Amino acid sequence: MPVYIARKLAFFLLAVFAASVLIFLLIRGAGGNVAAVILGKDATAEAINALSRQYGLDRPLPVQYFDWIGNLFRGDLGRSFRTNEPVTDLVVSRLSISIPLCLSGLVLGLLIAIPAGTYSALNSDKPVGALIALLSQVGIAVPVFWAGILLSLLFGVRLGWLPTGGWTNWDSNFWGAVRSLVLPVISLGLILGASLTRYVRSAVLDVMNQDYVRTARATGMTRMQALLRVGLRNAALPIATVVGLQIAELIGGTVIIETVFSLPGLSRMILANVAAREVIVVQSTVMLIIVFVMLVNLIVDLLYGVLDPRVRLTR
Amino acid sequence: MTIFRTMRHGLSLLVAGSALLAAVPGIALAASPRADEGKMILVARQDPGTLDYTKSNLTALRLWIPANVVEPLVYFNKDGSVSPGVAEAWEISEDRLVYTFTIREAKFSDGAPVTVEDVIYSLNTMKASPVSQNAAAYQAVTSIEKVDDRTVRVTLDRPSQNFWRGMGGTAGLIQPEAAAGGIATNPIGTGPYKLVNYTSNSSFEFTANENYWGEAPAIKDVTVRIVTDGTAGLNALEAGEVDALPVITIDLWEQLMARGLDKSFSMVTYPQIGEPTYAVFNQKLDPELRQALAMTLDRQAYNDAFGASWGAENTCTFALPNQAWYAPENPETCPYPYDIEKAMALVAEKGYASTPLVYASLSDVPDLSLPADIMVPTMQAAGFNMTRNAIDLARYSQLIFQGRPPQFDVTVMSGDADPTQWACAEASAAGWSTYCSAEYTQALADADKALSDEDYLALMEKSADILRKDAVIVPIIAKKGVGLFDPDLKGFVEPRVSVAIELAPLHW
Repeated sequence: MPVYIARKLAFFLLAVFAASVLIFLLIRGAGGNVAAVILGKDATAEAINALSRQYGLDRPLPVQYFDWIGNLFRGDLGRSFRTNEPVTDLVVSRLSISIPLCLSGLVLGLLIAIPAGTYSALNSDKPVGALIALLSQVGIAVPVFWAGILLSLLFGVRLGWLPTGGWTNWDSNFWGAVRSLVLPVISLGLILGASLTRYVRSAVLDVMNQDYVRTARATGMTRMQALLRVGLRNAALPIATVVGLQIAELIGGTVIIETVFSLPGLSRMILANVAAREVIVVQSTVMLIIVFVMLVNLIVDLLYGVLDPRVRLTR
Repeated sequence: MTIFRTMRHGLSLLVAGSALLAAVPGIALAASPRADEGKMILVARQDPGTLDYTKSNLTALRLWIPANVVEPLVYFNKDGSVSPGVAEAWEISEDRLVYTFTIREAKFSDGAPVTVEDVIYSLNTMKASPVSQNAAAYQAVTSIEKVDDRTVRVTLDRPSQNFWRGMGGTAGLIQPEAAAGGIATNPIGTGPYKLVNYTSNSSFEFTANENYWGEAPAIKDVTVRIVTDGTAGLNALEAGEVDALPVITIDLWEQLMARGLDKSFSMVTYPQIGEPTYAVFNQKLDPELRQALAMTLDRQAYNDAFGASWGAENTCTFALPNQAWYAPENPETCPYPYDIEKAMALVAEKGYASTPLVYASLSDVPDLSLPADIMVPTMQAAGFNMTRNAIDLARYSQLIFQGRPPQFDVTVMSGDADPTQWACAEASAAGWSTYCSAEYTQALADADKALSDEDYLALMEKSADILRKDAVIVPIIAKKGVGLFDPDLKGFVEPRVSVAIELAPLHW
């Protein structure tokens, strides 16, 4: 196991380094002069030169790269051109919304998907199993914004139980912040739950048809006992993969939910900064997201090793 | 059969669920809980990203900061009178070349006194502003100087209506020099409110400025929640979470009517926040081709589809109904009225079908993508070889607003009804936002130099005539601004400084 962990860690570090170089070169290569991109087409040469000096963009590329990476390690993501605010502060404030939103949505999705998918698989030959499969299919087809609007109309407008949108800061009103997140989390959780139910169902169905489960059942175990004792670890492998991918996708990909519920999360921040040509903010934020995604993948890989000993023995 | 029965039950449940949602009674519209707390919450549909009004001209910024937080030197009222702002008095020399402002003994919201140096700094900053509408007000200004501790003198090399009117607009906004570094997130001024917090994509929070020189606003705390999704904004209003949507956009109209919100809330219409919607033709195209294109614009079709319910008028004049040179569509003011057959004949006669034309349309701004849905097929039906290129706002800003020379042939825009924005003295500066016509630019310059209001208006009418005749900027409809307010929230006044929604007069 230590060798397996070391190998995965080394790969993670190498991938992060490659990604950082790629982002750095893509931003500079594809966009042209960064200062000119930030200032727009009307900018004078003097203004572009001044901004280049201000941001150190007139230095050799390797110097700029190591400066950027060094600052990243120190937690300094640069400053916004438009507002001069530290990007780190902006990202941290947005993560205080995006992380609870994504994690709570995912947990809710799993709370729906694991029992529903398992039950559906174990009862695939019964009407209720088919109904769960049907409902999950419907859930997958429902656009997340539509679910959000319906929930907002029902619980916000019609019943008045929860805010229809907007955000209350954690430090100003903790329960207000929780209330702000309830409907977005339910919208996200329902849609995620629907799609994860499909994966859980098919993973469980797959292991239930394996010889070792059949053998276990021949010893007198019920379907549930056989699943819990010998099938669960194997069924968990594809589910862990999908959950890992979902986490990675969620952290920067909840822009629709954030828009429908007017939450100032990370996704909307990135979108707004792309539109405003905030190159420095985009470069650093994208790098952070990539590191996060790779970290999640690393954890999933390590989890494979725990769940399936064959994986950690494979060279 | 069992499966089908279960599925049928499932579908029945879904239908029942939907019906239940529709049948659940809405919460009755009660008095706003904020009325007794001296608070109100409004909705903004766009996030400005930056509050630096010296560098940004975004409506999303001009709606909230001018007049509320940062005041101009003077205010131009609806009836044409002028009220004091940061300047408590002013003198204009007879030849209109020297303006002497007496600065009010007041404090900025951060407690610092307003000084002549701050005023000079502010005016010089606006003079050098990259926002052309701000800088344009200062074209005739030769010096801005201190006379004494309370007096500033501005000298012009020619009379300029733009300067004087600019002092009541964003060009005349006064900020403290010492706080200029924080203007992008926390602009400081002498207005009735101060900005407590601005969180991008979330909200503005204002509170009454205890240093305000005038009467304290009736409502102490104001939150402007940024809700970019229109339906979410209407939901919040209907749920009683917010008290007003002062700016309703066209994409919400149908939904608003269907939900009966126009009846349960007070609706106000006002021209200032309205916008003319106009087609822009590449000024380098053959004039006759432009005229033929103009004949494909069926104003009534646009009005029926997008504008009628908003009190929009068909017009061929680049102006809004509150501007004196405005005229609704009529034979005298529409040199190229809608005439598809004449347009087709011209296309055939001149062989315009062989000229490939590109229509740049905004993909993510409904007000501007919807007109394109009508314009492009009509132009194609008339025989023009028109291709639609749908691009998002960020790309559009780069290509269209900043593109020199013009990079597309036709587009449609909505925006400020300020005819001076098109003025362009040098052909090399031709773009989609500048019309480089010597005649038009001269007419505007003459209007600017007018010594009396009457002369000014007459010359502005002449400028409008030139714009109509040349078929480069071709107005379609003049939309009014529309706002929805809680019926108990009174006191709305039409904007005086640009499009700013004045918060201070609002009261429960």
